[in-house]
Amino acid sequence: MSIIQEISEYLQKGRAKNVKQLVQQALDEQLDPKEILNDGLLQGMMIVGTKFKNNEVFVPEVLVAARAMNAGLAVLEPKLVEVGNEPVGKAVIGTVQGDLHDIGKNLVVMMLKGAGFEIYDLGVDVAPSAFVDKAEEVGADIICMSALLTTTMPKMQDCVETLKERNLRDKYIVMVGGAPVNDSFAKQIGADYYTPDAATAAEVAKKAVTEK
Amino acid sequence: MTPKEILAATLRHERTEQVAWVPFAGVHAGSILGYTAEEVLKDGDKLFQSLMEVNKLYKPSGQPVIFDLQVEAECLGCELAWSEEAPPSVAKHPLEGEEELVTPCYCTIPTKDSGRIPMILDVMKRMKETVGDTTALYGLICGPFTLAAHLRGNDIFMDMYDDEEAVEEFLQYCTAVAKKMAEYYAEAGMDVIAVVDPLISQISSDHFEQFMSKPFSELFSHIRQLGVFSSFFVCGDATRNIEVMCQTNPDSISVDENVDLVAAKKITDQYNVAIGGNIPLTTVMLHGSQQDNMKFTLDLLDQLEDKRNFILAPGCDMPYRVPVENVIGITQAILETESVRKMLENYTAQEEEIEITLPDYNNLKKPLVEVFTLDSATCAACTYMMGAAKEAKKTFGDAIDMVEYKFTIKENIARCKKMGVTNLPSMYINGKLVFSSLVPDKEALEEAIRKVM
Repeated sequence: MSIIQEISEYLQKGRAKNVKQLVQQALDEQLDPKEILNDGLLQGMMIVGTKFKNNEVFVPEVLVAARAMNAGLAVLEPKLVEVGNEPVGKAVIGTVQGDLHDIGKNLVVMMLKGAGFEIYDLGVDVAPSAFVDKAEEVGADIICMSALLTTTMPKMQDCVETLKERNLRDKYIVMVGGAPVNDSFAKQIGADYYTPDAATAAEVAKKAVTEK
Repeated sequence: MTPKEILAATLRHERTEQVAWVPFAGVHAGSILGYTAEEVLKDGDKLFQSLMEVNKLYKPSGQPVIFDLQVEAECLGCELAWSEEAPPSVAKHPLEGEEELVTPCYCTIPTKDSGRIPMILDVMKRMKETVGDTTALYGLICGPFTLAAHLRGNDIFMDMYDDEEAVEEFLQYCTAVAKKMAEYYAEAGMDVIAVVDPLISQISSDHFEQFMSKPFSELFSHIRQLGVFSSFFVCGDATRNIEVMCQTNPDSISVDENVDLVAAKKITDQYNVAIGGNIPLTTVMLHGSQQDNMKFTLDLLDQLEDKRNFILAPGCDMPYRVPVENVIGITQAILETESVRKMLENYTAQEEEIEITLPDYNNLKKPLVEVFTLDSATCAACTYMMGAAKEAKKTFGDAIDMVEYKFTIKENIARCKKMGVTNLPSMYINGKLVFSSLVPDKEALEEAIRKVM
């Protein structure tokens, strides 16, 4: 098994120490940092995402895999900067105002990272205007909003309205998700995409920025 | 059989003439009387009044006294963020971010005097005295895994990999909290202790067996020893865990719309565990029409070959703003199934040529009160609405006209369609909708009539 494959395998098992060590070893052996990233770390995370979507693994497995990915990324990032690796896109993400639930949002963060996005995670209880301000500040491509409560879902619409008021609606791809959210709600509030799980969110986000 | 006896028989796995119905009206109970979620979860009198409205309008076989999974967490030092239309959320997890998961001292387990527990026990006792003979009362406790996550935050998921023994020890503590809460609630008269653990849907069956099987089995055995029934509530797609949940031996489990109830019941039936569910909270209860709710109920009943071991219930705690008439529709569908089936057939049937002439509302000689009901003889909310109208008729005598249109009659369905009546029961005065679902008090109704005199 190649070292790149090993990185992917250990990542899927959530073995952060091994991943970190192997990424360092791969760099020491002069392997291309982009290859380590794309074929090792991101490929491993993509497999975890697909398994999550297919109900083969669950929240704890995704979280430990993501932790392993982050451990590898921490070693790799300085090298990536040196070689000028560009992210697939930039995404601003958060749980909407009044809502403190973050498991689903965190999973999307990890999957988006795993898909090669640069992430700006605003956390929970995020005001509609804060999404827009951050997106403007960092030059994002996507705004992702999560809600678990039926009572906080309307805040997603407020964010879309804020974009419209500032004449920025067409500048950003707006994605929404969370237990009470569905496709018809997304359409109703004028969001671009609803996705039912974190892995699909990453797939759709990647496709959307490519087509943008 | 009383509604309570129907539920008890279901939980004893016996056949019943009617399906048990348990509306999970938590914060929604408060909405009926205009109380916020925070008011109804903190103020015993408001909670009691709201629960009595639920009992009156929805004729439940069983009803929860309080639906708030944060009660124990609050006693244990979690900071809560309150909301007007939803239960509180945990804003700060006291053990989050600590490098090691250290189980708290057992001396911290809540007592009957901790936090909101005295208020809850008081309301439980009042409910028991008032409706306890005819309605089974549910005491809801926070499940050990969800309580663990309240205290430890999302770190608990990592701990399951990093320090298995610490997680086992911590879950034992959370189970000890749950056992104590079950004792307090059983002593206050609760007939069913429901262990509510939504996070169970987020882990694999292997993890369930590794960490949860033992504490949950112990907990359900403890509840059985207290002489009351038990239920295991889960939210989310817990399909794969239904079997391992059954193996912990609760009397019943309850699932939401993410689980295929018909398929799940095949598993629960093998273990002779009752299953409750799973009216969709958002698409049907919150955003659907009264007809959608009645239809969903009938379709679900029709899909179940064997109705033994089945409890009709919402998927989880009902959203605050679920329209009252939607729950009334479900109640009617469960209590008067065949009559509702006929209504829906007539409602959805090809438009028959039924000529309805509406009164000339602009030129009435005296005020006309029209009450549209599902059937005032069988639907509790309709009975109260008709009662209010009859009372007004007594007061005003010949000075007003009053008529009831029951939805059980085809001509009345045609009339409802022509008038644009969508929710029942409702009261129109001189052709205008004045009261819908909620029964007006005497003064409000008399004032509304006087306005058009």
